[in-house]
Amino acid sequence: MAKYIVQIIVAGTQVVARAFVRAFQQEYQASQQAAQRAGGGKAGTRRAVADTYTGMTLQEAKQILNVTDISNKETIQKNFDHLFAVNDKTKGGSFYIQSKVVRAKERLDMDMTQQEEKKTKSNSQETSGNT
Amino acid sequence: MSTSVILAGLGLAAIGFGGRYIARNARVVQSTLKKQFDILDSGGAFSKYYKGGFESKMSRREAGLILGVSPSVPEAKLKEAHKRIMLLNHPDRGGSPYLAAKINEAKDLLDNKRKQ
Repeated sequence: MAKYIVQIIVAGTQVVARAFVRAFQQEYQASQQAAQRAGGGKAGTRRAVADTYTGMTLQEAKQILNVTDISNKETIQKNFDHLFAVNDKTKGGSFYIQSKVVRAKERLDMDMTQQEEKKTKSNSQETSGNT
Repeated sequence: MSTSVILAGLGLAAIGFGGRYIARNARVVQSTLKKQFDILDSGGAFSKYYKGGFESKMSRREAGLILGVSPSVPEAKLKEAHKRIMLLNHPDRGGSPYLAAKINEAKDLLDNKRKQ
């Protein structure tokens, strides 16, 4: 009697363990693909992480603020100021839309900070020779 | 006696590393914090902006939020809200086409549900 119970428990554990392993593999593959889509390499991984953390992809942020070139800070700021002002709740605008505009700007700022960090890191490595 | 000295040394080393890390990244941390506060401040009473992007598949709740109406709003009010928000965000007046599409999608979503 006890033997059967043990067998059931062991079999059940095996099934659960296999399911976990498969889930982890799928999760790993999905995150690799996300990093690839975001541009591959370390930068891509960082972007994918930022996408998940903020709940907004870089692509969507660009679409919301209607920018194509994320290095053009003036256009980004101009579009942001306009969209932010236009969706002011006290002037009949939609606070929800205004929120998305704010989050889009934050997402672009985050990406810009990451790019600049990468640049200063590679610069300091060049000047210091070998790390 | 010697273990406590070792521990003290390790502790000092940890403090040293921690301090160096903070010193290196302080400026970035400070500027990011400042930016967050700026954005929060400019919100005024509504300093709690909605988080994240748009939903991948728009829900009636989101549609209502976009247009600033309840999802069960009467048709006349829906039309008025849509017209008002669309006017403010019109692409020809410097608005974003993506947002305009979302606004239209919101109106269609709330409109269709009623036709059923």
